[in-house]
Amino acid sequence: MNPNFTLKNSIWGLTGIFLLALLASVVIGLSNRSRVPPLRFAEIPEFKFVERSGKIFGKQEMLGKVNIVNFFFTTCPGPCPLMNAKVAELYKKYITSVKVQFISISVDPQRDSLTVLQRYAARFAVNDQRWLFLRGPQAEVQQLSEKGFMLAADGLPGLHSTKLVVVDAQGFIRGYFDSFNEASIQLLTTQVRELLKEL
Amino acid sequence: MSDLKISNFKKWALATTLATYFLIFMGGLVRVAGAGLGCPDWPKCFGSWLPPLNINQLPAEIDPNTFNLVLAWIEYINRLCGVLVGFLILLTAYLAVKNFRKVRKIWIPSVLAVLLVLLQGWHGSVVVSSKLEPLIVSVHLILAIFIVSFLLYAAQVATYLEVNPSLQASKDNSYRKWILLLWLAGFIQIMLGTQLRSAVEHLLVMYPLLLEMEILQNIKFIDVLHASSGLILGLLCCFILFPLLRSTSTLSLNLKWATRSVMIAIFLQILLGLAMQISGIWQILQIFHLWVATLYLGFVLILYLELSYRRE
Repeated sequence: MNPNFTLKNSIWGLTGIFLLALLASVVIGLSNRSRVPPLRFAEIPEFKFVERSGKIFGKQEMLGKVNIVNFFFTTCPGPCPLMNAKVAELYKKYITSVKVQFISISVDPQRDSLTVLQRYAARFAVNDQRWLFLRGPQAEVQQLSEKGFMLAADGLPGLHSTKLVVVDAQGFIRGYFDSFNEASIQLLTTQVRELLKEL
Repeated sequence: MSDLKISNFKKWALATTLATYFLIFMGGLVRVAGAGLGCPDWPKCFGSWLPPLNINQLPAEIDPNTFNLVLAWIEYINRLCGVLVGFLILLTAYLAVKNFRKVRKIWIPSVLAVLLVLLQGWHGSVVVSSKLEPLIVSVHLILAIFIVSFLLYAAQVATYLEVNPSLQASKDNSYRKWILLLWLAGFIQIMLGTQLRSAVEHLLVMYPLLLEMEILQNIKFIDVLHASSGLILGLLCCFILFPLLRSTSTLSLNLKWATRSVMIAIFLQILLGLAMQISGIWQILQIFHLWVATLYLGFVLILYLELSYRRE
């Protein structure tokens, strides 16, 4: 290299740095703007089920918080334990916030009594009311899953969805996330972060 | 070896070095823009060689939630630049081996750069599959630093040989060991910086509700360590380089230029670091803070070589 601190070289250097800064600002601006607030899909309908503690729990109890909802049943052999293990990870992650709540709705109310749900919750070391386990009449659960959350619920309990649904503080569905896809889960945490800012 | 050959090689190697520095800048930009996972797969992007232009082009098995057009293209352009620079480096090594087989100080670093480029390409896939594990991302930076250093070394040696083909490195080590110290201290300082960034990212994942400012409060130790060692490095530069600048009578013009460049780089780094502490990690400052750090190492390397080959 054979340069010098002449005026000409300094001008070239400064122009280069200016162009790099310009490039960086444009790229950062574009990428920040590309992260639009999560879409509003639909408002969930009213429902009233029973929580493992015996308390009535419905849409009203979801308002004012960011909710992560999924459907499961306790005797489900394959996907549910994996899905709820992922929810358990998130449950631990949000330990400092009472503004994020997890709602798991049983699609097999015949077998999943409140006692069974309590034991199931203990399996995931759930010791507070940030993660709620609900049971309701089978027909209503199917209706809520299909019409309310727009998730497939044809052959319940076997064929339920393994998606995690994020519902905002106003009761609107804001996103569907694949519980088996790490990138999707990362996106979920980003969206929850954004939604918490709206509170 | 003819004059034309050495002159062409020098120009080519210098251009490649500059292109690699630009690529390092792009890498920092991708990290800061959060586009590292813009393409969740590697080497393809969303299952094809060209990223989708809109959400309808996504393959059915991919969750549309994971697709962000802007981030995908930022990452893709970074990968394209990477491939292009990879080919430039390969050509540099080819020219070095073809024309300067007897000059070990040219062909060995050029070939090492190519080997590291291959490693870096493979490591790029590890970065993506690790979902941007901070330590693995830092290794990506370290590899880049070594690649650019080898290229710069080859280009500088070619510059000296162009002037005097029978030039030998000086045996006098008295000053050079201090310059080596500046390089090592700078390298450790960069490592500390990546640790600081990793700690921030780790806390952001573990406690997604914390704000960046609150996070800095939680990692005060490493934050203070990085800041104070940066200031110490600044002082070290002053102590070592000012006496060198004062002995102007024996200094070549290039030696002066290299010394001043190191001083400017370290001064800029301290300013950028301070600005980041005040602004709460403003993104654009972060890129330049990392990039100027790699430039600093480059200037120190030039200074070292100047002292070895052209003291008088």
